[in-house]
Amino acid sequence: MKKQNVEIMAPAGGFDSMMAAIQGGANSIYFGVEQLNMRARATMNFGLEDIKEVAETCRQHNVRTYITLNTIIYDHDLTVVKTIVNAAKDAGITAIIAADQAVIAYARSVGMEVHISTQVNVTNIETVKFYSLFCDTIVLARELSLTQVKKITDAIEHEQIKGPSGRLIEIEIFVHGALCMAVSGKCYLSLHTHNSSANRGACIQNCRRTYKVIDEEEGYELKIDNEYIMSAQDLCTIEFIDQVIDSGVTVLKIEGRGKGPEYVKTVTECYREAADAYFEGTFTAEKAKVWKDKMEQVFNRGFWSGYYLGQELGEWTDTSGSKAKMRKVYIGKGNKYFTKIGVAEFQIEAHNLSVGDAVIITGPTTGLIETKIEEIHTQNGAVSQAVKGDICSIKLEKPIRKSDKLYKLVSAAE
Amino acid sequence: MIVITLQREKCIGCNYCVEHAPERWAMSKKDGKSVLLGARDRKGFHTVKVNDEELEQNKTAAKSCPVKIIKVTKI
Repeated sequence: MKKQNVEIMAPAGGFDSMMAAIQGGANSIYFGVEQLNMRARATMNFGLEDIKEVAETCRQHNVRTYITLNTIIYDHDLTVVKTIVNAAKDAGITAIIAADQAVIAYARSVGMEVHISTQVNVTNIETVKFYSLFCDTIVLARELSLTQVKKITDAIEHEQIKGPSGRLIEIEIFVHGALCMAVSGKCYLSLHTHNSSANRGACIQNCRRTYKVIDEEEGYELKIDNEYIMSAQDLCTIEFIDQVIDSGVTVLKIEGRGKGPEYVKTVTECYREAADAYFEGTFTAEKAKVWKDKMEQVFNRGFWSGYYLGQELGEWTDTSGSKAKMRKVYIGKGNKYFTKIGVAEFQIEAHNLSVGDAVIITGPTTGLIETKIEEIHTQNGAVSQAVKGDICSIKLEKPIRKSDKLYKLVSAAE
Repeated sequence: MIVITLQREKCIGCNYCVEHAPERWAMSKKDGKSVLLGARDRKGFHTVKVNDEELEQNKTAAKSCPVKIIKVTKI
């Protein structure tokens, strides 16, 4: 059966990223609640009290919602698991992304849809069959090749493997974002060195550092060309999105709950457009290049194609942080919006704002607005530059809110 | 005397503090986070004063905390 389209699933680390995902055209978002998810360390997780609002806002935009509840689970976590699943069920969240059997069993017992997390490392059809007893969607291990993925999706179709909903099992894979140096869900590097378990969402990402190799017997230090010997570049599949979709997957997932709204919107938009182009028959290498260039502007460690095309190992990054070509500089916060005249007022708190600057405005309701400053007004009338301390107004078609943040985009080299 | 402080909100529920100093720590079955036994909550910082004999095991608990939210000070 030929698919009509694919689902683009975007990460939401907070309300601003959630809105950015919706604006970018995501069909679904995934997010963590409290500490039992793979970004437990992040300060941006949602609380139990936020679940209803997330569900409601997404429902209004026809966007599906998934809660990640995919760490390893101890006895003392069992009540929290139940509390989160119950709250998700009450709020009308679409599904729970789970790894531990305790979570899977409880979610099923209350009739909640379950998706199997990549943390389970599903790599073969028999495991898919096993989990089909409990779940409707399975995220495959990120280390499979597309040939292996296709074998699994073909077998699901051929053997008519269905989940509890009665629909054929849907296969989801990661198409963009950070990759682990070890098989996802099986890395103990952070735990061994810093007592901080990646599998409880507390990875300190020490694989992203530089290392020296020393021969302890004779004290020789080996020279390594790229000292970031364990830090994989980021996955980017946009140039072969046709092959990704042809592998029979239904959901394309974007990594990055720890990243900002500008990353979420840009990457979601690019994959949405690429998938649509594929189904319209207008996908070309030239277009893919444009999308890739666009995504290079936001957080990335350099791109590679992951394991999907069967590349050899060795695509390591040569930087500790992002290679994004643009970076954002905080300028100030939103004051108010004058709807009738389409003007937004900001309080400048740092640096300055000039006519011609490219800016972004982010906020929990606003999501992400990108614009170019064409004119600035302060108490002195029209000016070419507003400085720290000024209250200034700019023309803006979309409304802003008081809590919104204004950033200037500058070249990363600056 | 020593003072032990826990910034509880940031706890990820790994259980290490309980492993190292079970007399002073327990895991809450309600929210899955650690509880500093005998402590008072002052704006999210849970604090308790205890005898010196508890110093070593609580220092180990603080050291092993992956999110570094336990502080042990000798007074």
